[in-house]
Amino acid sequence: MSVVPKEAIEVVAQSIGITNLSSDVVLVLAPDVEYRVREIMQEAIKCMRHSRRTSLTSDDVDNALKLRNVEPIYGFTSGDSLRFKRAAGHKDLFYIDDKDVEFKNVIEAPLTEAPLDTSVTAHWLAIEGVQPAVPENAPVEALAMPSDGKKSEYTEDRLLIDIKLPVKHFLSRELQLYYEKIIELTRNKSGSVLFKQALVSLATDSGLHPLVPYFTYFIADEVTRNLNNFPLLFAWMRVVRSLLQNPHIHIEPYLHQLMPSVMTCLVAKRLGNRSSDNHWELRNFTANLVASICKRYGHVYHNLQPRITRTLLHAFLDPTKALSQHFGAIQGLAALGPNVVRLLILPNLEPYLQLLAPEMLLEKQKNEMKRLEAWRVYGALLFAAGQCIYDQLKMFRSLLFPPTRAIWKINKKVAITMRKKRKASTDNLMQQPPHKKMATEGTVGVIPMNSMQTDRQGATGGYSTAVGGSNVGLSSMSRQLPTENMSGREVGGRVVKASSVLSQAWKEDMDAGRLLASLFEFFGESLYSFTPKPELSFFL
Amino acid sequence: MEEDQIEKFVAEYLKKKGFKQAEHAFQEERQHQQSKNTSSSSITTNSLSDPDLAKHILAFSELENGPARYHDGYSKFRSWTYSSLDLYKHELLRVLYPVFIHCFMDLVEKGHVQEARTFFNSFREDHEMMHSRDLQKLEGVLSPSHLGEMEFAHSLRQNKVKIKICQYSYDLLLEYLHKTKLTTMLGVINEHINFQVSPGQPSSISDDTEVVTLTGSSQDEATQINQKEIHWGLLEDSLEERLEKGGGLLSDSEKAEGETKEGELDENKKRSGEGAKQGMSIKKVKKDKGASATGKAGRPEANTVPMAPRVKPELTLPVVHTDVEKSILEDLRNRVQLSSVSLPSVSFYTFINTHNGLNCSSISHDGSLVAGGFSDSSLKIWDMAKLGQEPVGPVLQGENGTTSSEHVLGSRGGKRYTLFQGHSGPVYSATFSPLGDFLLSSSADSTIRLWSTKLNANLVCYKGHNYPVWDVQFSPVGHYFASSSHDRTARIWSMDRILPLRIMAGHLSDVDCVQWHVNCNYIATGSSDKTVRLWDVQSGECVRIFIGHRSMVLSLAMSPDGRYMASGDEDGTIMMWDLSTGRFITPLIGHTSCVWTLAFSGEGSLLASGSADCTVKLWDVASSTKVPKTEENKGGNTNRLRSLKTLPTKSTPVYALRFSRRNLLFAAGALSKSV
Repeated sequence: MSVVPKEAIEVVAQSIGITNLSSDVVLVLAPDVEYRVREIMQEAIKCMRHSRRTSLTSDDVDNALKLRNVEPIYGFTSGDSLRFKRAAGHKDLFYIDDKDVEFKNVIEAPLTEAPLDTSVTAHWLAIEGVQPAVPENAPVEALAMPSDGKKSEYTEDRLLIDIKLPVKHFLSRELQLYYEKIIELTRNKSGSVLFKQALVSLATDSGLHPLVPYFTYFIADEVTRNLNNFPLLFAWMRVVRSLLQNPHIHIEPYLHQLMPSVMTCLVAKRLGNRSSDNHWELRNFTANLVASICKRYGHVYHNLQPRITRTLLHAFLDPTKALSQHFGAIQGLAALGPNVVRLLILPNLEPYLQLLAPEMLLEKQKNEMKRLEAWRVYGALLFAAGQCIYDQLKMFRSLLFPPTRAIWKINKKVAITMRKKRKASTDNLMQQPPHKKMATEGTVGVIPMNSMQTDRQGATGGYSTAVGGSNVGLSSMSRQLPTENMSGREVGGRVVKASSVLSQAWKEDMDAGRLLASLFEFFGESLYSFTPKPELSFFL
Repeated sequence: MEEDQIEKFVAEYLKKKGFKQAEHAFQEERQHQQSKNTSSSSITTNSLSDPDLAKHILAFSELENGPARYHDGYSKFRSWTYSSLDLYKHELLRVLYPVFIHCFMDLVEKGHVQEARTFFNSFREDHEMMHSRDLQKLEGVLSPSHLGEMEFAHSLRQNKVKIKICQYSYDLLLEYLHKTKLTTMLGVINEHINFQVSPGQPSSISDDTEVVTLTGSSQDEATQINQKEIHWGLLEDSLEERLEKGGGLLSDSEKAEGETKEGELDENKKRSGEGAKQGMSIKKVKKDKGASATGKAGRPEANTVPMAPRVKPELTLPVVHTDVEKSILEDLRNRVQLSSVSLPSVSFYTFINTHNGLNCSSISHDGSLVAGGFSDSSLKIWDMAKLGQEPVGPVLQGENGTTSSEHVLGSRGGKRYTLFQGHSGPVYSATFSPLGDFLLSSSADSTIRLWSTKLNANLVCYKGHNYPVWDVQFSPVGHYFASSSHDRTARIWSMDRILPLRIMAGHLSDVDCVQWHVNCNYIATGSSDKTVRLWDVQSGECVRIFIGHRSMVLSLAMSPDGRYMASGDEDGTIMMWDLSTGRFITPLIGHTSCVWTLAFSGEGSLLASGSADCTVKLWDVASSTKVPKTEENKGGNTNRLRSLKTLPTKSTPVYALRFSRRNLLFAAGALSKSV
């Protein structure tokens, strides 16, 4: 009936020499023992509370015994709470693991270090109610209480602090192994199938987040050290792409570390040390990478794209920079979209081409390599401009196929502007004939160009549905023609009436026309009669 | 035939009760009657064979059938209560707990210990949440003698529980008990419960704490005590008041002219206006009017702090030195105004390498000194102003009879402390005098020691308590101090006398914490009997009993305007009390473990609480006290979060909090790795 079994009482009695304890006495004693024990524990709990603790120690029991004027039980004093072990095979049986200690060992053991003395340190727990991110304070994750009213403030803090917080960071053994493995693969076997699998893993696996800071740091480090090791650079850029693709990774806080190395791979003067290294390809790859970063994180970091474009433009406009750098810059800008090209490249096209022209000519530039590079740059420019003009024309596709009259109108205007420009440009006379030719040819002239654009889009794996060659593209276009012609005519009619509503559209249209014209001016026949697909220009 | 039965029952009853002579007499009479009966026609039989009476007697004899009746009766009663109408359920549930414990004690009293244990264990879970502490106490009661010995049980048996219940619930209850003939339950209820039947709707659940508290002292006594008038206003001629007057250091004669310079002191704008009105007139009437009356009248004002009435000090107050006064006034002028939108800065002092030995901590008013009381009987003081400076001079050591103090220099330089040795038991509390020149410590050796921080020596040892002294607190003006002890008393002392000036006795268990009222005329004590009491220092009488906590009260704080008191308990609940009415205003719920310390900010707008759950919480006092209770209940927003901010530490339970005069919050605690 009492928690203390009567057997226990008997055992205790025997241990103090009472062997003939009657069972009646035991029955009375058992509940009383329990009551006294509870009483002592109650006092012990009071002592515990007044020692500002929440776990009971043997000291508390000793103090409670002293309160009752009972001799404390010696031998159980310990600074920490006792560690109980569960007895094997029993559910509710615990014991204190008290090992036998060899006396000899104790005596011979070296003196233990004296425990550190108590000291007091001061830190700011909060400054005007906000907890500063100092190591003495609890990690910020603990702060983000769901019910707190100032939640938005917290998230702000978190972004900021995540980077700076010098908390100790533990990587599990598995993650460390994974990291080592990836690094090794990237360094040594970047061509293997295994590496490809690793890239897939990096792009899809969740739970890699703790590794991101390590990767970003390592990549930044590796890229600066291995600028002349082309395969490694390419491998790292692939890793970067995979990391960016991974939907489970929150990479924004580390972008600032990652961007410099990516930009390096785009506009560095030299990438790789052998002529056989196809650094153009790397630059192309990186350009697309940059574009995807801008697309994905541009809305989070408003100054991301402006900064990138500024850097690229800087490289592009600096004539002292190497042509390979120009190439990278142009590719990067082109990848950012036709609008960027229209705003940043096209205005500078004319002076740049002037600069580039002598490099491309066999008689002016004797160095084979240099000439090749110049042609590459030219190809990139062509590609950028082409993409831009295609985008323009795509918007006004209807206006591409108006009756010849409308085209005439446009071309007239173009001609006028051309004439104005002629004063400035000395090349204009040379360029005039093809332009006129185009103007007279009208529709015929435009359609092939259009088909070329779609074709190229398909080739670059971009947007177009008309994959599979110019013929398909052309035929699909022409199938659309009848209906679009109707609307086109309508628009044309309105244009003739100079409707104020559509004047804006007209203006754009004019711009497009003018743009096209001026591009013809610069690139000549190659822009329309050509097939100067970028692929081809690579092999010039 | 019926008559026979009755007679049989009566005989059995007498037998069972051990009325041997009565039984004999009964038997004799019975035989006598039987013999008579055969001859004479029974006229009386008709009157005797009243079926009602038979039933009653039947029931009565069944009642005696044994302890099983309690178990059955209670379980029936319980299941009925749980299946009762939702609207009245919570009222009826209140009845269950007192019935439960009294059934248990009845069983123990009658010696059915085994049954009592079974009964207790089968139903204890119902009450575990609300009354776990009581249950733990009662669990150990295993013999009738324990009942007599244990004060808690004794007081429960002595006093009736008062339960507020609405008319309909009461009717339901009685009807049920009569219908089902649960006479055992009825008996228990009649004997130990005093129903306060109120007409109309059942009261809301939130009143719960107020309605069912099984205190030792009868509720009537408490209400009677709480009728007493108290003057909770601030002291007249206090430093704060002088500051309001504008001059800060004007002499009394000048002050009487009611001279105010408004707008000069920006931190006291709202008060300065009142200061002008106050001048002389209020002071004259305040004594006769009664402070509490003024307080109530002033209460509904929402956005301005109601003017606190002024009271005269009942103690002779120590003279404050002019230089000290100047520096305090300077501090008050530079006080940062805190509110729910401008939170304080918190400086945290962490004790490291304490090896689980730190029992208490105290911070001086300016935050420059930190004291720690350890379980190895030592007391250590750190001078935080010198922290980081290079240690100067050699190790100083002074020996003074049985006590000693020494400077200990840290190995890494600069981190030194002064070690005070003299106690012979764990040091449970320490407190700095308002000026920081003295330190008091209390210990398990039942003494209180006064130390000088200037001389680094023990000055006085105060002996008076018979058991460990749990807490000691300096009065706001210094010189006087109060202590509380395991011997269930609180005592008032002055520094120059080795014997206590007053002994406050009345708590039914340990007095765990003590706190002075700002005007020094009262002290509040928190106890393990779950009540907080307010005592008049001059008369030594108990003037308020605050009932509502569900576990041991660990910390107390008084608002600087003297109107409110906050108390924190073992469960992590903090309660705000209105001193003048003795009612609790609102519980502040949020901590998950013991609230070790509480502190009001300098102007009383914020309450800071430190807890064993390793957090410092800041509470908005203004919104917590402003909402009238009735409105709160109706709106159903009792759980409205008034916690402004939770500041978690890195596994450091918070032992002490102190707002400096300039409203910087200091906190202290020992880093514990086990968390």
